[in-house]
Amino acid sequence: MTRRYFATFALLLTIAATLAACGGAPGAAAPTTAPAAAPTTAPAAPAGKKFTIGISNPFISSEYRTQMIQSLIDVNKEYMDAGITNELVIESADTDVAGQIQQLQNLINKGVDAILVNPSDVNGLNDTLQEAVSKGIIVISVDQELNTPNVYNVGIDQKEWARISARWLAEKLGGQGNIVLIEGFPGHPANVARMDGVEEVLKEYPNIKVLARDTGKWDEATGQQVMSNFLASFPNLDGYWTQDGMAIGAMQAVLAANPSKFPVVVGEGRCQFLQLWDQRLKEDPNFETIAVANPPGVSPTGLRIAVNMLQGKQVDKSKLGGANGLSFVIPVPVIVTKENFQEVFTTVCKDKPATYLLDGIMTDAEVQQFFVK
Amino acid sequence: MRRSRWQDVTYRNPYLFALLLLIIALAVNILLQPNLVASATLNSNMRVFLPLILVAIGQAVVMIGGGIDISVGAIVSVVNALLATQIGINGDPGTATIMMGAALFVGMGAGAFNGLFVAYLRLQPIITTFASSFLFAGLALFILPNPGGGVPSLFTAFYRETILLGLPLALYVIALTLAAWALVRQTRYGRYLYAVGGKPDAAYETGVPVRAVQFSSYVVSGLMAALGGIAITLLTGSGNAQVGDPLTLSSITAAVIGGTPLSGGAGGIAGPIMGAVILGLVRNIISFANVETWWQTFVNAAIIVLALAMPGIINLVRRRNV
Repeated sequence: MTRRYFATFALLLTIAATLAACGGAPGAAAPTTAPAAAPTTAPAAPAGKKFTIGISNPFISSEYRTQMIQSLIDVNKEYMDAGITNELVIESADTDVAGQIQQLQNLINKGVDAILVNPSDVNGLNDTLQEAVSKGIIVISVDQELNTPNVYNVGIDQKEWARISARWLAEKLGGQGNIVLIEGFPGHPANVARMDGVEEVLKEYPNIKVLARDTGKWDEATGQQVMSNFLASFPNLDGYWTQDGMAIGAMQAVLAANPSKFPVVVGEGRCQFLQLWDQRLKEDPNFETIAVANPPGVSPTGLRIAVNMLQGKQVDKSKLGGANGLSFVIPVPVIVTKENFQEVFTTVCKDKPATYLLDGIMTDAEVQQFFVK
Repeated sequence: MRRSRWQDVTYRNPYLFALLLLIIALAVNILLQPNLVASATLNSNMRVFLPLILVAIGQAVVMIGGGIDISVGAIVSVVNALLATQIGINGDPGTATIMMGAALFVGMGAGAFNGLFVAYLRLQPIITTFASSFLFAGLALFILPNPGGGVPSLFTAFYRETILLGLPLALYVIALTLAAWALVRQTRYGRYLYAVGGKPDAAYETGVPVRAVQFSSYVVSGLMAALGGIAITLLTGSGNAQVGDPLTLSSITAAVIGGTPLSGGAGGIAGPIMGAVILGLVRNIISFANVETWWQTFVNAAIIVLALAMPGIINLVRRRNV
C-alpha cells in the first residue's frame, strides 16, 4: 500500500520537474511568452501599440457588478473603435482572496498593460498588486479604496456618501427621535467607512437615539426581515438609516406593516426603489425620502483614467486624495430628493429595468481634470 | 453484486481518476498557457493552491474515518485572524514563529472540540461541525472585527518566493505530507482509521477503539486547517475574519474528486491533493481559454460537476457493457 503512495508522490515530483525543466529559465520566461495569449486581432495598430486592460472582479452576485462589467465593456468599445485599446481581458467569477490572487496573476501572465481591480480584501492582495506594479503594469483599484503604495484608487468617498443621507435623516427628524440602523457586511471596508460617516453625523445630534443596529448583509430579503423585526420591537420608530442593497427590502417591510406612524426612511439609488417611492406618494402625497446613487460607473471612469495614463499623460497629484494620496475621488453623480424625484423617475428610470442603479460615468473630457494639461 | 474491473481498479487506487483528470487539466492548461511550466509561474500557481490542498488533506482524513468536517473553513479564519492580530506587520520573527506554533494547537483544539461532540457524545458530524463552524467564525470575527493586521514581509516573501532546485515550496510541503501519510498508513492507527470509516460496528467488535480514532480524525483535520490558515496568511500577508469560508466546500469537493467517498472507509490523501490542484487549474483554463465573462461561473461549475460525476458515469457505462 505505502509503496503505491510513494510512487504517486514520485510521479507528481517527476511531472513537476519535467514541467519546470521544459519551462527553461525561471522568471524570465513569463513576460516574453505572455503576449501570445492576448487576443491576436491587432494586425498593425495605426499609431504605436494598442493597450490591453484587464479586469479582476471576485463577486458576481449583484446588479452592481453586472452593471459595472457591462459598462466597462461599453466604454472600452469606444477606445477599441478609436484603435487605442484591445478587447478587455475580464476575470470575473465568485471567488475568495486566493482566487482573486490567481485572477491577478493570470492577468499579469497575459501581459496586460493596466489592471482594474475591485478588491475582495483591503490588504490581502497587496503583495500580488506590488508584483504587477513592479512589472510596469498600471494598477487601479475601483469602487474600494486600497492603501497600497503605487496603486491608484478610483471611487466615491464612501464616508461622505453615507453622511449625505444621514444628515438628511437627522434634519428631517428635526434633530430628535428614535431610529434604527441597518448596515451591510460588518467589517467590509465600504461598510466600515459608511458607518463611520453615519456615526459622525449622529454625534452632532445628541437627541437622536439609536435603539438598535443590525446587519442586512447588503441583501434585499435580509433587509426586509431585519426591518420587520425592528417594526415589531419598536412600534414607535421615528426613522431608520440604511444603505443600498437593503433599502428596498426595508421599505417593503414598512409598506407591508403599514405602521400608524410612518417612519422617516432612507432609500437607495435604484429604479426599483423609486417605484416604491412613487407607490407611496399615491397614498401619501407628502411622503419624501432620499436616494443617493452608488455608481457602478466609477469603474468605467477608472478605465478612462487608465487609458489616459497609458497614453503617457501626467497625473496631477494635487487633484488626488485618499489614504495614500493616490485616490481619484469621484463625486456622487445623482442624489434624488423630493425636488428632483419626478424628473429622475420619469426620465432616467423610464426605459431601464427595475434593477438599474442610478449611475454616472465621466466622459473622457471630464477625466482630463485629473491630468496635467 | 459483481464489481467490474474498473470498479476494482478504482477501489484499490482511489486517486486513479483524479490522476487522469489532473493530467488532462495540466495538458489543456499548458496548451493554453505555455509558460505554466516555468518555475516562476508554477510557483505562483502552487502558492495559491496550497491552502486548499492542506485543508483538503484534513478533510479527506475525516472522511476516511466516516465523518465530515464543515468547520474547516472557520478554523482557517480563526488561525488567520489570530496570526494577523498577534504578529502584526512589524512583528519580530521570534513572536511570529511562536504564534504559528500556537496556531497549530488552536487548530487541534478546535478539532478536539468537534471530535468530542461527534465521537464521544455521538452527535451527527454534519450538524455538529456545521454548528461549531458558526462558533469558530464568531470567534474569528471577535478576534478581528475589521480586516487588517498582518505578518512581516519577511515571512510572506519566504512563502511566496521560495523556489528550491526549480521547484516551488508548495511541492516540498506536499511531499512532506505524503511522506507523513505513508508512515501513518503503515501503523496500526492507519488501519484502524479505514476500519472505523468502513464498518464502525465490525471495527468495534474486533477491539478497535472506535471513539478514539474518530476523535483523532477531527484533531488531524483541525491541525491541517491550521496549516492551511498559516499558508493563506502568508499568501495574503493580512487578516480577514472571513478568509476561510469558501474553503469548506472546496475542500469537500477536492476530496471527492480525489476519490474519497462520503461513505468513508476508502480513499487517501494523494487524490484530494490532486483534486485541489485540479480545481485551481480549471480556473486557469477558463481564464486562458478566454471564456466569455458571463459564462465563466457556469463553465467552472459544469467542469466540477462533470469531474464529480465522471466515476459514476464510467461505472454506469461499464456495467452495461459487462
